[in-house]
This record gives sequence, C-alpha cells and structure tokens, in this order.
Amino acid sequence: MSEILLESLDPSDESRVVQATLVSATGSSSKKIGAKMLVGASGKLLGGVTIGGCVDAQVIEAGDALITSGGRQMLDISLDDDEAWEIGLTCGGTVEVLIECIAPSDANDPAVSSYAAVRNALDGDRAAVVATALEGSRTSLVIDEDGIRTGTLGDPVADDAAASMLPEVLRTGSRAERLPTANGAGQIAMSLTRFAHELDMRTVVVDGRERYATRDRFPDADEIRLGMPSEIVAELAPGKRNAVILVAHDYKYELPVLRNLLRSTVGYLGMLGSKKRGAAVRDLLREEGFSDDELSRIRTPIGLDIGGKSSPEVALSILAEIVAIRSGKRV
Amino acid sequence: MTAYRAVVLEHFRRPRNRSLLPDANRAADGANPLCGDRIRIQLRVESDRIVEARFTADACALCIASASLLTDGVRGMTTRDATELDARWITGLLGGDPPAGRVKCATLPLDTLRRAVRDNSVEVP
Repeated sequence: MSEILLESLDPSDESRVVQATLVSATGSSSKKIGAKMLVGASGKLLGGVTIGGCVDAQVIEAGDALITSGGRQMLDISLDDDEAWEIGLTCGGTVEVLIECIAPSDANDPAVSSYAAVRNALDGDRAAVVATALEGSRTSLVIDEDGIRTGTLGDPVADDAAASMLPEVLRTGSRAERLPTANGAGQIAMSLTRFAHELDMRTVVVDGRERYATRDRFPDADEIRLGMPSEIVAELAPGKRNAVILVAHDYKYELPVLRNLLRSTVGYLGMLGSKKRGAAVRDLLREEGFSDDELSRIRTPIGLDIGGKSSPEVALSILAEIVAIRSGKRV
Repeated sequence: MTAYRAVVLEHFRRPRNRSLLPDANRAADGANPLCGDRIRIQLRVESDRIVEARFTADACALCIASASLLTDGVRGMTTRDATELDARWITGLLGGDPPAGRVKCATLPLDTLRRAVRDNSVEVP
C-alpha cells in the first residue's frame, strides 16, 4: 500500500486540514489502529477512523472546531449505540482518536514533512512507518526499512523505542499500537466506482450524508444520489442485471435497503460485514417475516476470498465476485 | 438491562407508526448530516389537532425508537401543544437520557415534527 491521504488534497484548496488517527480501541472496532481521516476546511472528507456512523460524525464535528482553533486533541469516544450492539448490529467499546490541525502547504509542518519522507521511501521501493508523539507538541519520526530516520519524537529514547518496533511492524504489515503507519484508510465505495469504471460497469453512489456523497470523492461514479437510501434504491428499482453493494457498514442504511430488495429481482445483493454481523442482520429481518430463502440472497461476507484487507482490495474482491457470477462461475 | 435500553430496543425492533401516511396534509424531512440519520414525519391535521402521525426513516436504533414514541405520543394533541414539546419530553418517553454524543439522534424526530406541524403546504398525491 502506498496511498498517502494528504497527497489527495490540493493545498491551494485547503489551507488547513484536520488529520484524525485511530489510536486505540477497546471492544470491537471496524478499522485497524492507525486508520486515518482528513477533514478539510472546505468540508472535504477523506478516509475514516471507523466505517461511517456516529463515531466518524463526532470526529468530523470536533475536526471542524479544531480547524478554527488549531492545535491537537485526543478524543475519547464511546461506540455507544448500545442497543444496536446488543443485537449484534454494530461495534461496541470505546475508541481514542487523535485529531491534529495541519497546514498542507507548509513543508515544515511535522505531518507534511513526515509524509514527504514516506513518499521518498516509497519511491525508492522501501516501506516506512511514521511514529507520532501522542502528547506534548506535534513531532513525528519516519523510519524506513533500511533504518533511515527522518525527524524525531523529541527524545532520543523514544526514537530508539520506535525504531525497535520497526521490524515487527514491517513483518506483519500491521500497525503497532500507538505507532500509526503512513497508510491512509482507503474507502471501499470510492475504490468500487474507480474499478467499476474500468470494467465498463455503470455505478450509482447512494448515501444520506452530503459530505460523503460528493463528486470530489467519486469522480468515476455515473450518478451520485443523496437522500434516504431506501427510498432512492426503491426508485432505482434494480433488476436481475444489477448489483447492489452495501458498504456503509451501518445498519441504519442496510436494514431499510434490504427490506426493499429482498423480494426484488436484483441480481446481486452483497453486504459488507462478518458472518456474525450478517447473521444478526438476518435474524432481525427474519423476525420481520422474511423467509430463509429470501435472506440467503444476502452475500456476506461479501466478495471472493482473495485475502486482502484494505479497502481497494475488498473492492476488488467484490467486483471479482460480481464478474464471476456474471460469467456463470459458481462462487 | 436499563429501562431506557429496553424501551429503545423494543421500539427499534417493533416500531409503531412506521409507514407512509397516504392522506397526510403536513410533512417534513429531517437529517443529521454527519451521521446520516434521515427521517420523514407525516401528519394528518384536522381542526388544529393531530389525528394521525407516521414516519419513515433510515436511521439508528435510538432515532427510530424516538420517532416511534413521538408519533404515538402526539396523536390527539393540538398543533400548538406539539410545537411546545421539548427534548425532556422525548427523553421521558425513552425512559432516560441518551449518551451525550447521541442526543441529536433522539431529538431529530422531534425537530422534524415541529417543522411538519408548521408546514401546511403538502400536496397529497
């Protein structure tokens, strides 16, 4: 992975952005530690620290405020949709999210300079990690796989401690706790529309959140519809040659859309989520009178098992499954 | 399980009044733009009294439960009384205060209802 979210912003459009980083999570979290989201002064959003929902909404609200005031702040957020958690529809626990105001056009900004170092390493075909101090002033240290260091955490002991974690982080490809990598959180729907465009598939993006369903984020989508997703999907009336892919990972959209589609002729109906979460959704819809045959149409976990975890990889697996089904393969 | 959570779960799993109201003469849409809750409240008002209230929503459990309780609670009320309802009234129906970060989820139906009461421009199809 070589995606750096900050590179997706035009500094001339965004004098200041807030970078949010998922620092810790208790209970179940839908994203890995180190997941990032950018909140631009223009309202632009990139990435996510959870897969949508009320937590990202709270981060965006806090980010909007921080753009004005500057500085950094640690948010301690409860994934407090307890009722939904109780019936298995959502994640539970708490998350810590570090939000920092950064100036994309300032090469001396610690975040900007660290990402420049990461880009340099990636261009040289070397992996790199970014260590960020969570307290005190904003400092960061980049270490590439050859051990070359750029920047400092402000304390040689801390720098050495971060460097000592490098082999494990690089070996597992995962983010060590409190040592976020430079990987940006891609977004599945964005990747889906990009890849689908290449495959000559027409895509319609549907969402209820105006800062998400934007042309900026979905340049390759054929249509972007903002409103109540269940109503929009009912109006679109997808048929047997159409696929509906639920990637919001939010039951508030999934349940109403599924109610509209389970008795339709839609050709492919997939929903992002684990087997456990899929079972919880089916249980709830079964209580409402949907039959096992109808519920078996929901493909979850979604996509072919190609082993990828990142959002573009998940998007690839979903489209691969759709292509396979379209081609008459048994999947 | 707390009384609050039991009420929310019950009304989320078996919401009252969740359907379109064909003969509505007042309606409003509401949204929490960041978290994505979306709701439509439809009312039938006769002689300044709410005789029927329904809702549709793509929203979280708390918002659905709040809308379910709200639409039950305002039936029979005068429009003036309905516009004077406040957040305390809805949290009373819910049996407790929502977590701090989710107050907007609980109050979205009420805010939408207030606008629906003021709207008499709905053209019934």
